Amino acid sequence: MQNVAEKIGRANHGLLLLIIAALGWAVPGAAYLLLGETKRACLVFITIALTFTVGIYVGSIGVVDPVTDGIGILGRLNPWYLAQVLNSPAVFLIGDATAAGAYPVYGKPQEIGQLYTSISGLLNLLCVINCIYIAHAGPGATKERQNVE
Amino acid sequence: MLNNTAWLLAAFTAPEDIKMNPQSMLWMLPLAAAVAIVYKATKLSKITARHFLKETAVLFASIVVFIIAAAAVLWFVTWLAIE
Repeated sequence: MQNVAEKIGRANHGLLLLIIAALGWAVPGAAYLLLGETKRACLVFITIALTFTVGIYVGSIGVVDPVTDGIGILGRLNPWYLAQVLNSPAVFLIGDATAAGAYPVYGKPQEIGQLYTSISGLLNLLCVINCIYIAHAGPGATKERQNVE
Repeated sequence: MLNNTAWLLAAFTAPEDIKMNPQSMLWMLPLAAAVAIVYKATKLSKITARHFLKETAVLFASIVVFIIAAAAVLWFVTWLAIE
């Protein structure tokens, strides 16, 4: 997998970064796999998938709601939804199923579900950015950064 | 098999019953653990089980201690406002 990344990177560096971003968004941790970081990929995938799953188990799929009742800065778009779709494009399918309001959820389960699903999305964004950084700066990027700190 | 799958999927369509009580604050612990694990997975140059667990445990404890400290400060401010 790492050889594939190197080949693409030599041919077109910008394309490699785009592929890494898309892959990291599609499946949490998959971009690390492409970069040859198997342990990181497993850790990230298991943690993010588990956090998201716990979120929708506690609050039901109703916590992934693309529309709000009121009108805010983003119109009727729910700001939590923006963080939730960072988990994977598959969240759009859940959002499509819940948009009609068939799965209402209130109170503490909604609060916990929203927090878990949104934070797992933001953690995935952190991983995607980290993968792009490693792909751009080279495999030693993480080590160098830690030494600076 | 089909029944089990249907039951499993159905579990995701109705919320769990979680009461609004002090114990519900414990739900922050798995989330703090997830943040610590993913953050350290992106940060460490080389991942070995012992080093990773140690670093993650330290970060997890830091997050929890900070949240407790923030809660204590907020409680004290509320107490001052009420008394």
